[in-house]
Amino acid sequence: MRTLKRILPHAVLLTYVAIILFPFVFVLFSSLKESNLEIATHPFSPPKVLHFQNYVEAWVKAKINVYFFNSLYLATSSAIVGVLLSAATAFALTRMKFIKMSKVLYQFVLIGMLIPGNVLFIAQYMLVMNMGILNTHWALFLPYTAGALPLSVLLIAAFMKSIPNELEEAAIMDGLSSMGLFVKIVLPITIPALVTVFIVNFLGSWNEYLLANFFISKDALRTLPTGMVGFRDTFRTNYKLICTGIVFSVTPVLLLYAFLQEKIIEGVTAGSVKG
Amino acid sequence: MKQTLRNPAVYALFIIPTLALYCLFFIYPMVTSSYYAFTDWNGLEDYKFIGLKNFVDVFSDPDFRSAIINNLFFILFAVFIQVPMIIIMAILIGGVKRLQGFYKTTVFVPSILSTAVIGILWGFIYHPEIGPLNGFLALFGIDKIYWLADEKWAMPAVLFVNAWQWMGFYIVLVLAAILALPKEMNEAAEIDGASGFQRAIHITVPLIKPIISVVMMLSIAGAMRVVDIVLVMTKGGPVGSTEVMASYLVNRAMGVNPSYGLGTAISLIIFAFALILTALYQMTFGKSEKGDVS
Repeated sequence: MRTLKRILPHAVLLTYVAIILFPFVFVLFSSLKESNLEIATHPFSPPKVLHFQNYVEAWVKAKINVYFFNSLYLATSSAIVGVLLSAATAFALTRMKFIKMSKVLYQFVLIGMLIPGNVLFIAQYMLVMNMGILNTHWALFLPYTAGALPLSVLLIAAFMKSIPNELEEAAIMDGLSSMGLFVKIVLPITIPALVTVFIVNFLGSWNEYLLANFFISKDALRTLPTGMVGFRDTFRTNYKLICTGIVFSVTPVLLLYAFLQEKIIEGVTAGSVKG
Repeated sequence: MKQTLRNPAVYALFIIPTLALYCLFFIYPMVTSSYYAFTDWNGLEDYKFIGLKNFVDVFSDPDFRSAIINNLFFILFAVFIQVPMIIIMAILIGGVKRLQGFYKTTVFVPSILSTAVIGILWGFIYHPEIGPLNGFLALFGIDKIYWLADEKWAMPAVLFVNAWQWMGFYIVLVLAAILALPKEMNEAAEIDGASGFQRAIHITVPLIKPIISVVMMLSIAGAMRVVDIVLVMTKGGPVGSTEVMASYLVNRAMGVNPSYGLGTAISLIIFAFALILTALYQMTFGKSEKGDVS
């Protein structure tokens, strides 16, 4: 009875974990198989021979390399710009002495968190069209960066509020300007919060589908999520290549997660609860 | 000394880029949305003000009404199936000593991946000929099921994938609350002979009601704006059986004959529904649960 009690929770949890992991294992196996026939006849067994050439084929023939680098540099640049803008704003709002003004501005920026993304989708589409940047990466870079601002300001401001006053007084005594104070003292201390915010923003842009699908129609400019959907629609029946594509698109995120899981869990959950 | 932090030029330099970007991509689209929703704009020609016609059109379209029902399915599925399972899993993970970190890390994984890629992945698993799900069911002599092409099965199939993606995220939220609880009460109850099940129902669940309330609200809000998974897996089909409000919006407004006026009207409707549901929830369950805790 006692051992049963101890084993039962693990049995339930391992079943759940198996359901979570099975699709990944299946895709990994299938991506290395010889043909659809092998996938269909032996869906659950590892590939007989490892066909690594599938990866080469998908990377070049299916332009996964193009989508991959588009996603990589869009997600990285918009996350970095978003972090820097929010950090500067959070610094001005929490540390500089324009208190009344800052309170109003802070509330104003937080309104953005009440507006769910896809409510603005059509109006943003019209906006980028009128700006003449439809079908360029600016059409994604700007909304991605802007979309991340409210939460980023909130998280970074919360962190900066907790920095003791003595530290900045000492720095000012030493003759630092407010710019110097921000760059040399406050930013380095805030790095844990900046990393969290960077990760949340990076994942958001890396995974975004709706805007990417409608704001970009040139194949060479597509990001991984939309590129993959297009890829699936073209190669409808070449399952090993589709699986290779999936492996290419989830591996970077899984690697990031392997090294930074605590940070990622903290950031992603903080984002939702406060929103 | 305080002059340093009173430099208006630096303040402006730090604030204005953020504000400009925020106003351009949040405030301005919100304002134009509220305006275009009352016009017949299609993005190209001149437009005119048509009052509430867009709203009347949308609500008199049976396809939109069935899309609302489908959103309701997402909500009901979340509230009555996902949330109880989330609580059970979180309590189980909170109760084990071995492998706790492993469980937590693993169940969280799907929520950091792209919904589009997950849709493709599961589309493959559901594939009638080559997919492993039918292959597995065939072992029990069950006939081929056209998961995403059969009106009867498409909705449950999509609901399952949506749950598969997001449950782990909420489990980790609830688990954090459980692990933060003081251990004494549970230990005392255990000494008094309460079973694990009794302790879960009478001690843990009442104590984590605030976070359960948060999870409920987030699930409802998520169910209101679900769209990526539907677009990627079924595009709302077959025959509208998985169409939700946001996919209806995309299919109507961004189709061959774009109608942005109508589209913005639909986005305002989704926004209003989401606000009303959260407000209702806050006034009923949210309130009583907060009362219990204090």
